[in-house]
Amino acid sequence: MTDIALHAGNGLDVGSLIQEGRVHSAIYTDPAIFELELRRIFYKTWIYIGHESEVPKRGDYQVRLIGRQQVIMVRGTDEKVRVLMNRCRHRGAVVCERATGNVKFFRCVYHGWMYDTTGKLIGVTGREAYGPDFKPETMGLTPAPRQDNYRGFVFASLSPEGESLRDFLGKAAEMIDFLVDASPVGQIAVDAGVSKTIYTGNWKLVGMDGYHPNYVHASVVDAWKRDADSGMGATHREDPFDDKAESRTRDLGNGHAMLDMRKQRMKHYPVYEGFVRGIPGGEEYVKTMLEKHGEERGKLLIALAGDPHVGVFPNMQIINNQIRIMNPLAPDRTEVNMYAVRLMGVTDDFNAVRLRQHESFYGPAGAGSPDDAEIFERAQMGMLADVNPWVEISRGMNREVKDEDGTIVGLITDEVTQRGQARKWRELMTQAN
Amino acid sequence: MTIPDYAVLREAEEFLYREAELADDHRFDEWLALWTKEALYWVPCNEEDVDPRKKISVIYEDWKKIDERVYRLKGRHAHAQAPRSRLARVISNVRLGDYEQATGGTVTSRFVLGEVRRDTQSVWLAKQRHVLVRVDGELRMKEKWVYFINNDSPMTNLTFLV
Repeated sequence: MTDIALHAGNGLDVGSLIQEGRVHSAIYTDPAIFELELRRIFYKTWIYIGHESEVPKRGDYQVRLIGRQQVIMVRGTDEKVRVLMNRCRHRGAVVCERATGNVKFFRCVYHGWMYDTTGKLIGVTGREAYGPDFKPETMGLTPAPRQDNYRGFVFASLSPEGESLRDFLGKAAEMIDFLVDASPVGQIAVDAGVSKTIYTGNWKLVGMDGYHPNYVHASVVDAWKRDADSGMGATHREDPFDDKAESRTRDLGNGHAMLDMRKQRMKHYPVYEGFVRGIPGGEEYVKTMLEKHGEERGKLLIALAGDPHVGVFPNMQIINNQIRIMNPLAPDRTEVNMYAVRLMGVTDDFNAVRLRQHESFYGPAGAGSPDDAEIFERAQMGMLADVNPWVEISRGMNREVKDEDGTIVGLITDEVTQRGQARKWRELMTQAN
Repeated sequence: MTIPDYAVLREAEEFLYREAELADDHRFDEWLALWTKEALYWVPCNEEDVDPRKKISVIYEDWKKIDERVYRLKGRHAHAQAPRSRLARVISNVRLGDYEQATGGTVTSRFVLGEVRRDTQSVWLAKQRHVLVRVDGELRMKEKWVYFINNDSPMTNLTFLV
């Protein structure tokens, strides 16, 4: 353990771990810093919980994590979707023991207390044992202090105060739109299953990196070259991860970052449109999208295929056909859950192509995710050698520019995204608990 | 309960053992050659039975994708298999379903798969179902379905052949 571990939270200047173009490896390896991250980041800021379409019917619920705290996202009898702490108000046991399902009530089996799906306490066994000071109406399941929703994406914050969700999302909101608006009816259903993976490394290693694909995913790049007209091949024509490409890294502010493929995809739009038209229902899809959104926006939506490739700080991403959550379990242990999406208003064939693309690259047996996890594990192992503890993230500092909209943009291999995330990390970690 | 002809069962079993051995030993080309060109390699995810048109799987591949998987594994850049997993699987509970010696059919079984990679030993447990067909006198696989009983939990690296 480094000296920093001994001092973290004990007068150490955590901010000094993030410097111009480099970060200290203790932010990945140090248990005390991990604990501080939970308090100062995960229990403070907005955290993505799930999508409303994951609880379509009354009583449908999903248990999710904010840091290590369990919350229940549940649709109540009043149709409202709430985020409630999964903790009985009596002795603290979880009231919901399954990851997903449908209930009429949450019943704590410890002593039989019951809550309805709005969180209200509706049953206390042996009620007469409590006097007049016991107010059941104040003893419901505790809601997350703040909750809001952007286009069906439910976020919660354990801090009663802070900026609004809309302000927090900032420019990331319009990136979420690229997924939702890829549906011709502007609706998605996050009901296509989840690829759950786990690796022995820090949660921040998932990052957002345009530099790694040609190395970490060299085996996939080779396979694409073998079959350039396959779905993934068609969206990755003419190496999009080469600095000569039109792809860009973009720091959206507030820790949100993206690999901005818009121009690159538009450059190859005709070929990709041909691929889309070839899917049963594809002709209709192209026609509807162009009619609904006009030529310019319509083509862009088709080209991006619902993939803004954006990371919403701290632990949510929208990539390919998935909404991804990285759950920090320990400094060196992270769960990555990839929730696959179906577009509403398209044929099953159309969605099936998207689901097959997802499987082919992502998940525990995919061609991509396991190689990512492998390199995260190697980084975690390597960073324990901290005689020289600095991790370099300066690539492209000499050539990044501020775009008209205030975002910082670099070439695709530049570490603009890492610097944006590190800046936000530093801001939050240097605030009081 | 009908007891299958032992020789018929043995031949199907022998195929499963052979397939397991080739997968365990990373003999990719020989493993690939067990497949017919009309192929479905299916490892469901989250549940035992899902509608692949509406849900993702861990693996849902036709011959072309299986070939691509083998191509990547054989290449120099399959990092998650560098070093390779050391594998030993034990197949048991082999039962013939709708199966004829002359044409083949469905064979179900279960397996315990031990894996060691980078000093960590893991145990994988699964039910599997093969659809075998007889081609030029030899059994080949047309479908292979593997249900890992932890397929709704966070899974580690599953990039070896299962």
